[in-house]
Amino acid sequence: MSLYVEVIKNGNGKGEPEHFTINMGPHHPSTHGVLRLVLELDGETIVKCDPRIGYLHRGVEKLAEHLNYNQTIVLSDRLDYIASAANNIAFCLAFEKLLGITPPRRARLIRTIVNEMARISSHLLWLATHALDIGAMTVFLYCFRDREWLLSIFEKVCGARLTHSYVRVGGVRLDFTQEIIDELRRFTEEFPQRILDYETLIDVNRIWLKRTRDVAVVDAETAINLGLTGPVLRGSGVPYDVRKFRPYDAYDEVEFEVPVGERGDTYDRYKVRMKELRQSNWIIKQCLDKLKEVEGEPVLAEEAPDLLLPSRVREPEPKPHPKKGFVFTGKELPVVPPGEAFASIESPKGELAVYVVSDGGPNPWRLRIRTPSFVHISAIPELAKGHMIADLVAIIGTLDVVLGDCDR
Amino acid sequence: MNLLQKILLIEIWKGLFLTLKKMLFERFVTIQYPEKDKVIPAPGFRGRHALVRDPNTGDTLCIACMRCVRVCPSQCIKVEYEVDKETNKRRVVKYEIEALRCVYCGYCEEVCPVNAIVLTEFFEYVGFTRDEVFFTKEKLLANWDEFIAKAKRPYLNPFWKPRGIPEKFLPVRKRNFTGV
Repeated sequence: MSLYVEVIKNGNGKGEPEHFTINMGPHHPSTHGVLRLVLELDGETIVKCDPRIGYLHRGVEKLAEHLNYNQTIVLSDRLDYIASAANNIAFCLAFEKLLGITPPRRARLIRTIVNEMARISSHLLWLATHALDIGAMTVFLYCFRDREWLLSIFEKVCGARLTHSYVRVGGVRLDFTQEIIDELRRFTEEFPQRILDYETLIDVNRIWLKRTRDVAVVDAETAINLGLTGPVLRGSGVPYDVRKFRPYDAYDEVEFEVPVGERGDTYDRYKVRMKELRQSNWIIKQCLDKLKEVEGEPVLAEEAPDLLLPSRVREPEPKPHPKKGFVFTGKELPVVPPGEAFASIESPKGELAVYVVSDGGPNPWRLRIRTPSFVHISAIPELAKGHMIADLVAIIGTLDVVLGDCDR
Repeated sequence: MNLLQKILLIEIWKGLFLTLKKMLFERFVTIQYPEKDKVIPAPGFRGRHALVRDPNTGDTLCIACMRCVRVCPSQCIKVEYEVDKETNKRRVVKYEIEALRCVYCGYCEEVCPVNAIVLTEFFEYVGFTRDEVFFTKEKLLANWDEFIAKAKRPYLNPFWKPRGIPEKFLPVRKRNFTGV
């Protein structure tokens, strides 16, 4: 032990202070997955931080080139597995732009609801794990209780709790039932009280304030230069929100505010996300009211279904045959026009963008996904410099990274 | 936070009071699974696979149209069939699903024209070997028997005929079906 102290005090004999190099992760519970950080430490202060990613790489972009458009949506579930409905929507929006399909209004409203539900469940998980990393156990339990409720609603909507595959090119797969709408209404009535509970626990708690105030301060200019998006950027005071700037689905119909922070520290980002929870709740409420206006409308666009089995294009009405039942004349036709399309959405973690190139075949020729977590991880070295090693946990938490989203 | 609040630990007491209140007066949300409580999935939950047994013939309803094979994103379905020379109909010889490869998207249910394949709401299945979760045709039919014995009749999976989508928009034309 005394040798280490000697080395730290006096350096390596050349007059320079000796730095420790340690690994944080990839099996560290607070790195939210398999993130590995190679840290260079001067005592307990971080001198250099080097993120190593790729432990969860599955090659989603390459896999998509061998699957048709609707099958690709199944892959999108596995990107950001905490809010898979948001990923589905990003993929579908890009494909719909390519095809020139507009989903019916009911489908767009349902998508907006589902997107906001995904945002709430993602933010709840973020709050739970972020608070747990910093040391608040009770918030973790309460958040997971409420997330469980939301997931059970998701289960009723689409039959899966995490990997929904609910959104489909041209609409959604199943309509809402009255039971789901009632349950969602109950949720939206009760949820603001739940947010108050979390805030009572940590909002002015002195330990929480000490751990988050003035940790990882990013000013607006640096945040933009680093490519940060979503609540992290808004925490620095930039009111950039894709839902406001390039409205998709039914976001141009609903009212909501874009909360922004002032100082750009971890506490401000926490406040922004808490305000976003309320806004999402409000959006769901508005959409549920609007759903009444489009009762009984189909939830899928008319052009869409041909995509699921693309190798054969059906005639509009199959001809009855005296012996064989129905006859589908199968002609090989380009299902999707050649071209390219780009769509971006405000996913819970930031801006999620999909760029797709088609050569006229049934599969995408190239699919590129811009995920927020990848960009946010690249900002960790900048943010972590000069902080204590314990603050690094708070920094990873506040950026809200998911490694499935980052590595793809 | 003013000085008095700081000294008296007001915010800490508030938080502690909240947790005490929740502990004493709120109902428990933790369930004792699987000893006491059972989890009942919502209708349409995408769980274990099954092939619907035709009550008239005792065999599967499958007509070997191979649509499920084509639509499967993970390519976990394998079907072999033979053509009857007299009636010119296809008969399923082999129907295999590798459950470990399945991603439970439910596309196979959606494109099945006779509603033969189903992802049942049964989810408590595990195995010590890969063979135990490799479903052959017999196993799939047995899965159906096990599931339908406890299910409410007539059973109609929501993915067989998706809610809110008119018949003509469906990926395949579904034959008349009112539930099993």
